[in-house]
Amino acid sequence: MLVGSAALWLRGQIACVADADAVIEPGERNIHRLRGGLAGIAIGPVPSADRFSGGSVVPVATAYGKVDCLMERGRRDWSRLRRGAGFLLVADVPVLAASSSDAWNLRRRFKERANE
Amino acid sequence: MSERTGLGVVEIALLEALETSRFLRCDKALASVEERIGLAPGYAYEVLVDLARPWTMPVNLVQGQGNFGSRGNDPPANFRYTEARVTRAGRAALAAERAEMAPLPIAIINGNTYRAGLRPPFRPHAVFDAVREAIRRPGVTDAELTGMVGPPYFLTGCAVAGDLTALAAGRRTELSLQAQVSVSDDRRTVVIENIPPNVSTDDTASIIASRATASRWASDHPGLHRVTHLPLADLRNETSDRSSPFGRIVCTPTPGTPPEQLREMLLEVTGVRTTMPVALPRPLPDLIRHWVQANAGEGLLDSLAALEHAIP
Repeated sequence: MLVGSAALWLRGQIACVADADAVIEPGERNIHRLRGGLAGIAIGPVPSADRFSGGSVVPVATAYGKVDCLMERGRRDWSRLRRGAGFLLVADVPVLAASSSDAWNLRRRFKERANE
Repeated sequence: MSERTGLGVVEIALLEALETSRFLRCDKALASVEERIGLAPGYAYEVLVDLARPWTMPVNLVQGQGNFGSRGNDPPANFRYTEARVTRAGRAALAAERAEMAPLPIAIINGNTYRAGLRPPFRPHAVFDAVREAIRRPGVTDAELTGMVGPPYFLTGCAVAGDLTALAAGRRTELSLQAQVSVSDDRRTVVIENIPPNVSTDDTASIIASRATASRWASDHPGLHRVTHLPLADLRNETSDRSSPFGRIVCTPTPGTPPEQLREMLLEVTGVRTTMPVALPRPLPDLIRHWVQANAGEGLLDSLAALEHAIP
């Protein structure tokens, strides 16, 4: 699920998109799928499954820009975020994006922490 | 940070160690730094490499000789195999540090984004002009000073855009840095030059190449493939230390693809366009005024002239 500025941009909100913040449903199978997807577009090696399962934020540089995998956020908030999320069509691909209010809330929380 | 130049303790120790007329082997300079401030050579060498690379900061304080790495992914050679000495600007900085001349606004000019900091660099002569104006005309307005300094300036020559008003006001913001992308005169190639400083030219070339190969999901998602795939027949990374130190990648479009179309697509590719978070410790006009007031009574105009003559 896309959260953060990329989700806001897809939802037509004005946001400067520097990278893509992604959240996945917790679970080993999903980590495996995430790593498989990133392997096709990453510049350099994809971080290990252990890093994804134990890490908080795992950044991955890809040929399409930086992807921050918000693992801790997924572990804590997946169910709540999923409830407000919906699929949006990007070219011919349905992409799950967080609701605008959830994306704004997360963005504010992260930006405020970064500015502290 | 030194109040007279804004340089850090390690930078000053390095300049002092390299204050020789001839090139000095870096391991000897680093041993001297370790003796003075106790910093291990491996750490001090990272700072020295930044000082010696000609593309990192507008006021180059150290001249390197040997392999200090490239704008791509080539690392510098071990410090046993490189040499360095201070530049004329480096000597001016040391003179200012020792109070042999008035302070110099080196930190304002060089910033610290080359070490992943937030302060961006500015055009040296623009800062000199703004400082002179603040000395000569204390009533100069904030807008005038901001206008004189202009936007951040990166030596690679990339285009800079973003909320410059926020930056000048001392607020954290994000710059968009873009390489120059042009269609060659014979319209056979699209040339990428002046690649942003916060990306490796090798990585940019790899990204472009990977975007030109068919993804494994291309057949499942032809629409996405169409908008993300680069119609590229050939790519050459012509970045070199001598002829194109700031990056040069030459792309040949596939037959039938207008070069202008490829150019438009390349402008959106990561590495050709990057972002950089930036912030100044206080509003830009305040930064200049504060610096002038803090050093009032010293011969700032003379020291500015000396530094101005010391940089190309």
